[in-house]
Amino acid sequence: MTSAPSVAAKPNTRLIFTALLRADFIVFLKNRRSLLLSILLPYFILVSTNSKKGTAGLGGSLFVIGLSITYGIASTSIMGYSLAVARDRERGVFQRLRVTPASTWAIMGSRLIVQVVANLIIALVVVILGGRVHHLSLSAGQYGLVLLVSILGGAMFLCIGQALVALIKSSETVNSTARLLYIGLILLALLGQGGSLGDTWGTVARWSPVGTVMTLFAGVLNLSAWNGREVESLLAAVGYVVVFAVVGIRWFQWEVR
Amino acid sequence: MDVRDLSVSYGTTKAVDKVSLHINSGEIFGLLGPNGAGKTSTLSAIEGLLKPDSGTVLVDGVDVQRHPAQAMSKMGVQLQATSFQAQLRIKQIVQLYAGLYGVQLSDRQITEGLNAIGLGHETLKLFKQLSGGQQQRLSLFIAVIHDPVLLLLDEPTSGLDPQSRRQLWSGIEHLRDQGGSILLTTHSMEEAQAVCDRVAIIDHGKVLATDAPDKLIEQHKDDPLVRQAARGAVTLEDVFIGLTGSEIRD
Repeated sequence: MTSAPSVAAKPNTRLIFTALLRADFIVFLKNRRSLLLSILLPYFILVSTNSKKGTAGLGGSLFVIGLSITYGIASTSIMGYSLAVARDRERGVFQRLRVTPASTWAIMGSRLIVQVVANLIIALVVVILGGRVHHLSLSAGQYGLVLLVSILGGAMFLCIGQALVALIKSSETVNSTARLLYIGLILLALLGQGGSLGDTWGTVARWSPVGTVMTLFAGVLNLSAWNGREVESLLAAVGYVVVFAVVGIRWFQWEVR
Repeated sequence: MDVRDLSVSYGTTKAVDKVSLHINSGEIFGLLGPNGAGKTSTLSAIEGLLKPDSGTVLVDGVDVQRHPAQAMSKMGVQLQATSFQAQLRIKQIVQLYAGLYGVQLSDRQITEGLNAIGLGHETLKLFKQLSGGQQQRLSLFIAVIHDPVLLLLDEPTSGLDPQSRRQLWSGIEHLRDQGGSILLTTHSMEEAQAVCDRVAIIDHGKVLATDAPDKLIEQHKDDPLVRQAARGAVTLEDVFIGLTGSEIRD
């Protein structure tokens, strides 16, 4: 038990992170059905609003594409991520990982990187499909900006998911709360931004997490219209990231006692 | 391993109260105690999962609190309820934990290792598809994959059939014979007597007695409470009941 030559004298951070990333990507690929669903639902929105009336009712093509991408990344980040973390915590998976030389930052960082990749895939696929369905031609720069916004939007939704698992211990409760929150946020943005709920709710919807990300997507898809509204949304999104990250890190517990 | 004056509290409840232990190389040390005695809290503090109120834990000279990653790389741990990522196959689990401990294993080495513990044909199975005995063997295999100087086992044989239990005992004794230190917690006095070189009996967070099982029996065989608990020749269980009391703990 004391003479293995291949053991590193000091923990090798690169090896540790590579091992975690490899395992998390395997888990991600095994759950590809949920990734597919996160793309199919936005695709359904794109197709079902592919009429002048439907598109105009939702604020135009760019808003519809923004909404569709937001749907996709919010579902995988708020529901998928939080439930996976809550279940692994309940099963003792984190406990087992924490008694290895891996730092807590490496354990969580690896999962977040995989989730960011998932968000980028969703954003790219949906924006390509959206462009085709709504007959838009986007420049390479706009695709790049869409990916940047999906990183920011994904980070915001991941932080919301992290805050959920920090505040709620039971995976069942995390699951139901995440679903309710997801539906609530989407409906608020959809109905509020569409004007169906009146001015007050319209303002609430515009400043809601989904509303700010939708505005940003619409902004980068139509750069000529980029103005103070988009800048305010950008600042609001960064603010949401900071607030929910603080809650998610400060109150997160690695085990359920 | 050296544990010095370790104290752990949960709010106002003191779970571990100035516990000191020393485990030598090539020794199997048993931590015995009724439910809620402080065994798992002691173990969790040694594993770095719990921040103690005071005290130090040194593993091969490395302070667990100050240098957790270095200390972890010297420890192997088998938790009471081990769980690995549900979607990973056995081989992938081994690859993950080998990587976490900085051990580079080829596919052939992994297969050979799994063959040695009778899991050579199960490499593509998920952890939940293994039997209880197979799961314990795999957990132990992973716990020692990096050749640690200290192995921590939290109730390693609970829920196992006699055959699996005996096999695990042989595995633990083999590790001891190779020079490793092993700290295990158990509720089974039979297990403590069979495999432990020394045991500590702990209750209400305090160590009540530490010695080899035979010596503990010899020292306490005439205590009135031990005699009262004995049903014939005094056993380690009688000493345990005599020292910790006979009331049921939750």
